[in-house]
Amino acid sequence: MMMHWLNHQSQAFQSVLARMRQNIAATLMICLVIGVTMCLPSLFYLGLDGLSKLSNHLHQETEISVFLKLEASKNTVDEIDALLAKNSQIQAYHFVGKDEAWQQLKSKANNTANEVINQLEKNPLPDAFFIQAKSTDPEALEALRSELQNTPGVAQALLNADWAKRLASLLSLSKMLIIFISLLLAIVLLVIIGNTIRMQILTQKEEIEVSYLIGATHRFIRTPFLYAGLLYGLFGALLAILMMTGMVLAFNYAIASLSHLYNSDFQLPLMHSKLYLTLICTAMFIGLAGAYFAVTRTLEKIVKAQTSL
Amino acid sequence: MIQLDQVTKRYPSSDEVLKNVSLHIEAGELIYVTGHSGAGKSTLLKLIAATERPSSGTVLIANQNTSQLKPSAIPFLRRRFGLIFQDHKLLYDRNCFENVILPLHINGITGLEAAKRVRAALDKVGLLHKEKAMPITLSGGEQQRLAIARAVVSRPSILIADEPTGNLDASYAAEIMSIFHAFHQVGVTVIMATHDALSQHGAQNRVLHLTQGRLTEHKAQGLT
Repeated sequence: MMMHWLNHQSQAFQSVLARMRQNIAATLMICLVIGVTMCLPSLFYLGLDGLSKLSNHLHQETEISVFLKLEASKNTVDEIDALLAKNSQIQAYHFVGKDEAWQQLKSKANNTANEVINQLEKNPLPDAFFIQAKSTDPEALEALRSELQNTPGVAQALLNADWAKRLASLLSLSKMLIIFISLLLAIVLLVIIGNTIRMQILTQKEEIEVSYLIGATHRFIRTPFLYAGLLYGLFGALLAILMMTGMVLAFNYAIASLSHLYNSDFQLPLMHSKLYLTLICTAMFIGLAGAYFAVTRTLEKIVKAQTSL
Repeated sequence: MIQLDQVTKRYPSSDEVLKNVSLHIEAGELIYVTGHSGAGKSTLLKLIAATERPSSGTVLIANQNTSQLKPSAIPFLRRRFGLIFQDHKLLYDRNCFENVILPLHINGITGLEAAKRVRAALDKVGLLHKEKAMPITLSGGEQQRLAIARAVVSRPSILIADEPTGNLDASYAAEIMSIFHAFHQVGVTVIMATHDALSQHGAQNRVLHLTQGRLTEHKAQGLT
């Protein structure tokens, strides 16, 4: 029984491969369509994934600057220092006094700026704490910032990464968009593959009719078409991966000089095994489902036309 | 083996094609079904081959009622028959060998065993030398013989032929008939529809005559 089943499967598989080889141009075409369709959301995803990694990286550098009031006394500074030391959300912080900051500014400024600075009679800079938070989560950072803002003696607490926060929410919005687009394209693929299989069934209508008459089971007729759907999905996904690899290579080459300027080694990953695996499995599943619907509907019609019950 | 009991067949929007037909066929018989075209010969054969179901009455094949069989069991019932159609129903996109191997694939027989059986079947109908030929290049008689090879390759115990000599000239027809008789000789049940005058072979065999869907039966002697 088992042998019979295996025999039947391999027979169906071989007949499908033979048919695909016979119509190699049409097969390539349909695989190309599937490939391109899958390529679009995948590329978008790859780009977003790269960007969000980049922005995570930025998040880790996020610090909160706390500027004290100009008239803050040494006592206030010590009090805030003690508060910060107790706060469990803070990983590290350092204090830059107003004099120290003043010196830094003077030493860094160029000639013209120096003149302006020297004209100032007294130091306009406040004391400041620069704080490294433990969390990189934008919301937690924001909570910490407002807590610090409300501390007595603090003039202003600034989160240096407001734009990073905006980027993060933009990224999550885009991810949702990708999901929608992928769903729509999945439906498109389902229809394309289903239609292709339906056309194939119709071109083999005679063979199917004769086969039914001489005792073929539904399974015997159906299996090759299911394999065809599965294979279209597989080949399409492989083609999509191939195209993506090519595009990522080109992109990385183009961006290398740019990211060098920014002192970054930003690159899109060439081997994204999780994405590729998902792509292959999804494509094969869609292929199988599309073929299943097409076969079930079309064969029903053929059988009905053949025997009037 | 095959038993029809008060079978009536009606197609949608048509009169009764078969009216109250009862008959019994034993294993190993050779049976002619005669009658004018439109008398219901093809329909009777389709009922026997389980490719149609009766509108009323029962068709028993090897004690299985075709009306009550589950759809999934029908294919296995059909495999007991070798069918030869009036219009051959050959597949013109493949060669003779591939046409004949189809029933074996349906039965799950592949590889060398299948090839051996295909050649044996082609040999029986005298087409062994044409296994690579495409059916369209064969003559009408050869196409019919190829259809017979396809029908017998899975060694069915019952052969059903619908006007196998219908479109053939006399010499081809005689050739085809002798092939059927050869199968009958080795114990195969043969049921054949024909509107030809019966040949000398028909001497001792049953003839079922259909007139407008009604069945009358007699021995063949009177016709020869």
